[in-house]
Amino acid sequence: MSSRTQSIEQRDSTRLSGKARGRAPFLFLAPAIIVVFAVLIFPIVFSLIVSTYDWPLSEGAGARSFVGFDNYINLTKDPEFWNSLKLQLGFIFIAIPIELVLGFAVALLLNREFFGARVVRSLLLLPVFFLPILSGMTWRFMLQPRYGPLNTLIVNLGGPEVSWLGNPITAYIAIIIQDVWRMWPFMFMLLYAGLTAIPQELMEAAQIDGAGFWRKLRSLTIPLLSPTILTAVLLRIIDALRVFSEVYVMTEGGPGSATMLFSLYTQRQAFGYQKVGMASAMAIFLLILSIVFALTLVRKNMSLDVLEEKAGA
Amino acid sequence: MKKALIVLALAIACASMVSAQTINVLFWDDAYPRALMEKIPEFEKATGIKVNFEILQPPQVFTKTSVSVSKDHTDYDLVCVDEGNIPLFAPLMLPYDQWGPGKVFKKIDPNTVTPAMLDVAQWDGKLIGLPINGNLYVWMTRKDLIENKTYQAQFKAKYGYDLGVPQTLQQLLDEGTFFYEKGIVSGGFGPFNGGPAGVFGEAIYMWNSFGTDFINWVNGKPTLVIDKAKGVQGMEFYKKLMKISPKGAETWAHVERQAAFCADPKGVFSMFIWPAQIASYEDPDKSLVANKIVYSAPPAGPAGRFAIRGTWAVNIPLASKNKDAAAEFVYWWASKDIAAWLVEQNTVPARTDVLTDPRYAKSKPWLAAIADSMQYAAARPRFNEVAQVQDIVKKYWIMGITGQMSCDDAMQKIMDETNNVLKNAKY
Amino acid sequence: MMSTPRKKTRKIIVNSIIAIVAFAVLAIELYPIAITVLNGFRRDIDILSGRPFQLNQLTLRSYQLVLKNVGFQVGMKNSIIVGILSTGISVLIGAMASYGIARFHFRGRNGLAYSFLVLRMLPQISLVISLYLMFSAVGLRDTIAGITLAHTSFNVPYVIWLLLPFFTAVDKAYEEAAMVDGCTRSGVFFKIFIPIVAPGLVVGAVFAFLNSWNEFMYALILTGVNAKTAPVAINGLLGGETLTWGQACAAGTIMLIPVFIFTLGMQKFLIRGITAGGVKG
Repeated sequence: MSSRTQSIEQRDSTRLSGKARGRAPFLFLAPAIIVVFAVLIFPIVFSLIVSTYDWPLSEGAGARSFVGFDNYINLTKDPEFWNSLKLQLGFIFIAIPIELVLGFAVALLLNREFFGARVVRSLLLLPVFFLPILSGMTWRFMLQPRYGPLNTLIVNLGGPEVSWLGNPITAYIAIIIQDVWRMWPFMFMLLYAGLTAIPQELMEAAQIDGAGFWRKLRSLTIPLLSPTILTAVLLRIIDALRVFSEVYVMTEGGPGSATMLFSLYTQRQAFGYQKVGMASAMAIFLLILSIVFALTLVRKNMSLDVLEEKAGA
Repeated sequence: MKKALIVLALAIACASMVSAQTINVLFWDDAYPRALMEKIPEFEKATGIKVNFEILQPPQVFTKTSVSVSKDHTDYDLVCVDEGNIPLFAPLMLPYDQWGPGKVFKKIDPNTVTPAMLDVAQWDGKLIGLPINGNLYVWMTRKDLIENKTYQAQFKAKYGYDLGVPQTLQQLLDEGTFFYEKGIVSGGFGPFNGGPAGVFGEAIYMWNSFGTDFINWVNGKPTLVIDKAKGVQGMEFYKKLMKISPKGAETWAHVERQAAFCADPKGVFSMFIWPAQIASYEDPDKSLVANKIVYSAPPAGPAGRFAIRGTWAVNIPLASKNKDAAAEFVYWWASKDIAAWLVEQNTVPARTDVLTDPRYAKSKPWLAAIADSMQYAAARPRFNEVAQVQDIVKKYWIMGITGQMSCDDAMQKIMDETNNVLKNAKY
Repeated sequence: MMSTPRKKTRKIIVNSIIAIVAFAVLAIELYPIAITVLNGFRRDIDILSGRPFQLNQLTLRSYQLVLKNVGFQVGMKNSIIVGILSTGISVLIGAMASYGIARFHFRGRNGLAYSFLVLRMLPQISLVISLYLMFSAVGLRDTIAGITLAHTSFNVPYVIWLLLPFFTAVDKAYEEAAMVDGCTRSGVFFKIFIPIVAPGLVVGAVFAFLNSWNEFMYALILTGVNAKTAPVAINGLLGGETLTWGQACAAGTIMLIPVFIFTLGMQKFLIRGITAGGVKG
């Protein structure tokens, strides 16, 4: 309650002084807006136009012609499109929670000093920086039966020899494992940075009040950390929506279309089938989906007001 | 003032003359263009033309060519197009008969190119560029296995005929099964189940071998002509070959095939290879079976012998401003001297005189096999929608040969969905 | 502080257990990278032997080949330049914008913030063709400036969102005190905020650099011989028709070196920034 009044007061005070400040915000925002307009808005508008055309990638394939909403209508009738959307959403909703839990758990674990703590924390980040195409290729290699290091490890431990990438379900699991492997340290890093920023006195006070580990976690750590958690999840969603090269080199979308994620199918439409119009319609569809995503997620949990409220609390 | 303008104009003219001496070249990435790169300084010295040489993986060559070459603009003065995409790019490329005569290097007579390869660049009665490499299915069989006396005797006792380089698909299956069941090899056969274009090649190979084409041009449009029963037979046969293939073969692309054939101590008995890769199969640093491979034309099916082609043609875009310099580069590349040098690097150019040169008969045993294969060269169908059809074929072909779906159903799916694509295309 | 010897031993035991667990996690996590690094020193034929830790035939040949590869040299150089340029620009522009959004209330503020976020969600494939046409038209194709701009476009929104929690967490009192002292807006930004959010900036810079360093699709389409970056060069060693595993692993390891230095250095900076008491919880 008190935090809310405080934040309202705060907002009022800023508003008042805001008038006096005049154009200051725009001076700060202008460079970003210019860059974003030049290199993001233009291509999006262009995509929007192209999505209403039958637009072959190469001029050799024939003339470009206006087709209205045909591309969108054809998309809704295309089972591969819905399949890729389903796989993409599944990928996000399975991989990211695992990454979050793993990253959070390890951040809690490593949020103290011990022998070699700094080295561990730093080296954990290496997979995040691993070249995605090389990561995909390495996993493809590791999962091969007979000589793949992961498969031989499983066999040596008494497990079965599995042709991971040859089966639709295990291939989908494999691309998720690859993403979790690469990206949970990202979660870890952001959450760790957030954890270290929680004042020690708060934790100590809770300790004195007799709060146990779980209680402290539930009523102190998680609420204090929630803006960071949401930022981390949001940034991950942004990247996971566009995941491409790792999966492309790992499976090329196969077997069948078991791992044909959204951007793989977009890529196939544009660069394989030469249908840039269809690919653009897919992009616009994804844009709308992203807006919905961002609005529901951000508005509820992470709007600027909420952020400020948290900061003021 | 006037003087200054003249100087400026001269400067611009000079600059443009200098820039005319640079050509941008885009090629696919394998041993062949890489070998050529070593020689480029010689060309630059001889002609004064600077070559900006860019090499990319084949799918990206296609993407980049699509994006950067149009009727009135091009970023490259020389590109390469693989056989399947010749129809797509033909309208944007300068026909070979309009290429310049060549200043330092003489224009290459297309008849020096092996006839089986020359077809690759033919479209609409015109030669669209020059086929540059000799790439088509060649068969590899493990010499150490078929020459082993014990195996020879055992095989003869069981199957009633002599163990040898498989001449027919049935023989391939028998011999592969023999070695596979005895545990001598990891695989009696090495399938290709990687990229769509490659799987399409395998499917066409089997269909042709069992007596049916897939798509032909009928009345000016690509038409599905496959005989379903024969198509299913071909697929069923490949399914049998899959049963004697190593575990994990259902996802094999080139890298995995090479790993199994060359680095696995047991290895694979017999499979096809693109000649471009021979160099690394014969490299003792990468291969346990270097010098242990017999090369031959692919085994024949009931309907005859077929060797699928996978050759690149080099093309000059109509929009190029340096057509003569680009042509000069091709004339140099396709000349006998360079071709001979490339053969010595274990790569395979498309010149008949070099491929059949007796000097190489002994040290390059694959050349004879390639020459033999050329007699049976077969093309994958080419039309603008081929990428979509390849995806369909790949999807259901693999489902059929791995038993996720009956071959009959898979064939029906391939036919239905291919017909759909062709119907939606505007012919 | 008032720890008894018993408490001390308990602490040591707990810490050693945690250290063991931590190193175990690290070992599992780095297994694939360890394999990659090792494979850079092995012959292709040994890589595929199924014995990942058989190390009797180590060789530097893959490194020799990669370092001799002109394409890779050019790619490395370009990657470093583009990475640094686009990181610097994005962090500056992004921090300014993030500050602007966090500290001012203006109409359309939320909308603007969301648009930055949403724009970042589009797959590059859908933007790259129009970017290609645009860059060709203005002469930015295959230039360092062009690919830097392209990388900046996706890094700016990223940095903005990464920094928002940092900026909103800064106590208003600092700002007001400075304003009272007669500091200008940009003075406040550079002198007060930048030092306080420094840890955030470092994190932002590192991830911006990473995004640029590993970016593939834009580099592939928008660059050619002159401005191509290392991932495009390495791609040639991967997934091709013939095996060059050793070289690909060697190249990948080389790509990890700056990253390695970066992460180790950054940790130090991060901790120092936080313990300096800048960020309020």
